[in-house]
Amino acid sequence: MDSTEISRRRFLLASGTAVAAIHAPRVWAQAAPAGTRPAGPGRLVVVFLRGAYDGLSALVPYADADYYSLRPNIAIAAPDGSAQTALRLDNTFGLHPALAPLLPLWQQGVLGFVPAAGLPVPNRSHFDAQYQMEIAQSGKTSAAPGWLNKVAAFNGSATSAIGVGEANPAILAGTATVRLIPRGQAAQRTGVLANDTTRQALLDLYAGNDKISEAFRQGAGSRMQSAQELSTEQKAADGRRMAATQDNTARVDAALPGTQAQNAQMLAASNGAADPVGLQLDAQHLGTLMRNDRQLRIGFLSAGGWDTHANQGHATGQLAGRLGNLATGLAQLRRDFSETGDVIVVMSEFGRTAAENGSRGTDHGFGNAMWLIGNRINGGRWHGQWTGLARGNLNDNRDLPAHHDYRAVLAQLLRGSFALPDSALATVLPGVSWDTRLDGLLRKA
Amino acid sequence: MPPHRPPTATALLLALPLLAGSPVFSQQADTGAAAAWRATSRLGYGPSAATAPAAQAGARAWALQQLDAAYAASQRAPAIPAELARFNQPVNQIAADFHAEREARRLARQASASAAPAAMPGNADNFSREMQQSAAAWRLMACSDPAVEQPLLARMTEFWFNHLNVFVGKGPVRPFVGHYAVNVIRANALGKFEDMLLASARHPAMLFYLDQAQSNVRGLNENYARELMELHTLGVNAGYTQNDVRELARILTGWTVGLQQGEAFRFAPRLHDTGDKVLLGRSFSADGLREGEEAIRMLARHPATAQRIALRLATTFVTDQPPRVLTDRLAATFKRTQGDIRAVMRTLIESPEFWAADNTLFKTPLDFACSALTAGGGARERREIQLTLGFLAQAGQPMHGWQTPDGYKTDAATWLAPEALTRRADYAMALGARMDDPLYLQTFLSAASRERITRETPALRAGLTLASPDFMRK
Repeated sequence: MDSTEISRRRFLLASGTAVAAIHAPRVWAQAAPAGTRPAGPGRLVVVFLRGAYDGLSALVPYADADYYSLRPNIAIAAPDGSAQTALRLDNTFGLHPALAPLLPLWQQGVLGFVPAAGLPVPNRSHFDAQYQMEIAQSGKTSAAPGWLNKVAAFNGSATSAIGVGEANPAILAGTATVRLIPRGQAAQRTGVLANDTTRQALLDLYAGNDKISEAFRQGAGSRMQSAQELSTEQKAADGRRMAATQDNTARVDAALPGTQAQNAQMLAASNGAADPVGLQLDAQHLGTLMRNDRQLRIGFLSAGGWDTHANQGHATGQLAGRLGNLATGLAQLRRDFSETGDVIVVMSEFGRTAAENGSRGTDHGFGNAMWLIGNRINGGRWHGQWTGLARGNLNDNRDLPAHHDYRAVLAQLLRGSFALPDSALATVLPGVSWDTRLDGLLRKA
Repeated sequence: MPPHRPPTATALLLALPLLAGSPVFSQQADTGAAAAWRATSRLGYGPSAATAPAAQAGARAWALQQLDAAYAASQRAPAIPAELARFNQPVNQIAADFHAEREARRLARQASASAAPAAMPGNADNFSREMQQSAAAWRLMACSDPAVEQPLLARMTEFWFNHLNVFVGKGPVRPFVGHYAVNVIRANALGKFEDMLLASARHPAMLFYLDQAQSNVRGLNENYARELMELHTLGVNAGYTQNDVRELARILTGWTVGLQQGEAFRFAPRLHDTGDKVLLGRSFSADGLREGEEAIRMLARHPATAQRIALRLATTFVTDQPPRVLTDRLAATFKRTQGDIRAVMRTLIESPEFWAADNTLFKTPLDFACSALTAGGGARERREIQLTLGFLAQAGQPMHGWQTPDGYKTDAATWLAPEALTRRADYAMALGARMDDPLYLQTFLSAASRERITRETPALRAGLTLASPDFMRK
C-alpha cells in the first residue's frame, strides 16, 4: 500500500544506520557470536505492556536538553538524589523514581535496556501493532499463530507455555497446547471441580471428541493442578506472614499501650509482608507453577492502562502509579526467575510522542525501550543505538525512531539464552535479520 | 420498509448439504429446534420459556418479527426499575450530581485533614459507583428478561456499545456510561449508523473516554480523532494517514463537556482551530461545530465504514470467519440505505449464511451469562446480579469494563480456553442451584447430554443443563 511505502521510506531516511539491518539478507546461517550459546535451556517470561507505555518517562534521557524543552510539564527531573527526580543509571539515562525496586538489578548487572526498538515500519494503531508483535510479522491481519506458541511448539508434546490473566492472548494462540490461568486469587480456586459428584457429572457431559469437550477435560485437569499448587503456596506464605506478624507484634506490644498497639500491629502486617495484589500476585503464581513444572519454559503476563493521552503525571501521578506496580511485579518475577538461563523481557507495541500534547499527556509514537532482566543479560548498561531527541533525529519529527527491530532483540534471547535452534528461529521470527549491533546483549555463557 | 434482496436459490442449495451434516438436527434450515436455538441465541440471548414455542414454529418468521419489534422498542423509553432509574436521569442532572460528588469528596478530604468528621449530604460521594452498579444491573436484566427488554434490542445494544466502546473504569466516564448505553446506543441501535455515531461524539462518556474534551487549538489531543477513523468508522487499513488524524483532531477542537456550566456537550468556539483543514482530500474551512458534524457524517458514509461494520456484524451474528460474499452483501445494503441498521440486519437474517449449520459460534462470557439467566426466568435478585458481574469480570468480560476502544472480541479463538470453560461450570452450578430445572431446554440438548443430565439428582440438573457443551454454542 502507498501510505505504508511512504512511511517506510520516511522511516528509513530518519533512522540512518537502521537501513543496513533491514536490508541485510537473512543471516540465520551466520554463526552465533562465540561463547553466547547457552549452557542449558533457559526460560523466557514476556511481560507485555498493552497501550504503549511512555518509555521516555521510564528510561529518562535526562542529559538531553531537548527532553525538557519537549516536555515542559511531564518530564522527570534530572537526578539530584531526591525522591522526586530520576534515579541515575549512567551519563545518559536515569530511571523513573517509581521504578526504584529495579535499581538494584541494574547495579547487579542483570537489568539492561534497548532504548529505541520497535516494529520494522511505524504503525500507530494499538490493536494492529500489538497483533503484529504477537505474531511477530508485519502487514498481516489474517489469523496467524502467536510467536510464543510457535516457540512452545518446539518443545514436543509437553505443554511448555503458560499465560496469566488474559482469556486467550494472540501471542499464545496456535497449535501447541498452552496453560492459561486467570488473574488474581481466582487462580487458587478449584470451584465445583472440588466436589467429586459434580466433577464426574461434568466430565461425563464432556466425554465427547469435539473441540469443546476436549478443551473442558484438559481445563479440568490443569485447573485442579494449578489451584492446588497455588493454594498450597498461599497457605505456606500466610503461615510465614502470620509468624512474622506475631513476632513483630510481641515486640510492639511491649512498647505501646492500647489502640496504638493495634495500629502498630496492622502496620507491621502490611509493611512487613502485605498480601501481594495485581501484577505481583500474578507474577508469584507464574513463578510457582513454572517452578513446579519444569516443562514450562515460557511465561506470559500483561498489564494494561498505559495509553496516557492526558494528565499522565511526572514523578508522581497516573503513570508513576502504573510504573510502581510494574516494578513490584518485575521484582517478584526476578525472585522466581533468577536461574542462569532465565530472561524476563518487557515490551510494548510502540512508544509515545517525544513531545507532550495539549493535555499534559502523550500521543502515539514509534520507537520504545525494551527491558531485559536475567543473569545472562549484559546488564547495568544499555544496548544498541540511541540518537537523542533532537528534532532532526526523530521519526516524522515527532517520535523516537526504532533503531532496532524488536524481533532482532528477541532473536538474541531465543538463540542465546533459550537455546532455540536456528532452524526454528526462522519460523518463529520470519523474515527478521540478525542485528550484529545487539551482539553484546548477552554475556558469554 | 426498505427493499431487500431474497437469498438466491443457489445459495440455499449450497447451504443444504451442510445442514444435512449437522450432528444433532436434520430439519430444514429455519424450522425446528436447531434453527430456533440459533435464532434466539444470536438475535437475543437464547430461548426463554415464553419465546421458545414461537421460535420453534418458524425461526425465520420469528426472527424477522424481532426486527420490527426491536425497532419499535428502541423508540420507546426503556423499562428501568425505579430503584435503578437514576442512571438514566437527564444528562445535565448526572453532570450536576457528578459535580456535587467531586465537591463532597473534596470537602471530605479537607475534613479528614482537619480531623473533623465530614457531613455528607445523602450519598453524594458514592454517586458514580451507584451509577455504575445500576447501569450494569439494568443491562443484565435487559439481556435476560423479555419483560424488561425486547431481546434483539438488548443484543443490538450490546453490539453497538461494544463497537463504540467506553470504559467505566475511567473516572469521569463512570457516571455517564448507563446514560450513554440507553440514549446513544439503545435509541439508535436499529436506526441510522451516522446518527448513533454523532450522538456518541457529543456524549460526555465518549468525550471523556477518548480525551476529546481536553483537545483544543492550543494543544491537540489526537486520541479520539484516531480511534474515530480506526475503530468507529474506516478501519486501520483504509488508507488514511497520520496527517489525516491531525486534521480531524483540528476539525474537532472545541468539542468538549461543560460540567461547570451544567452542560453535557458544549462546543467552545474559543477552543476551536479556525484554520483551513484537509481531511481525506476534502477541504474544511472555518465553520465551527458544523465542520465536525460534516466530518463525522462523511466518515460514517465512507465505503470502508460499510465494509468494516459488515464484517463486525457478520462475525458477531454468523461466524468467526465470515465469507466475503456475505460481508459484501451486508455492506451493499449499508451503502444503499445510508447506514440503516435495521435494513442491514434484515439482509443478514435473510442470508443463507445466517442459517447454515456449519457457521458455528461459541458463546462469549456475556452470551453465556445472559442466556443462563434467561433460562432461569431473568435476572431479578441482587444476589444473581452480583454473582453474574463477578463471573463476567473473572472471565475477562466485565460489564462496561473493557479498557481500550476496540471493544471485546467475539470469536472462539478468544473465548474458548480450557480452564475458562471449567469456570463457566462454576457459575452455571451456582446459578442452577437457585432455579427450577428448565425443562423446556431439553428439546435443544443432544440426546447424549439429555441422558447424562437426567441420570443425576434433580438438584444438579438445572446447573448441568447450563454447564453442558450444548449450552456453550449459539
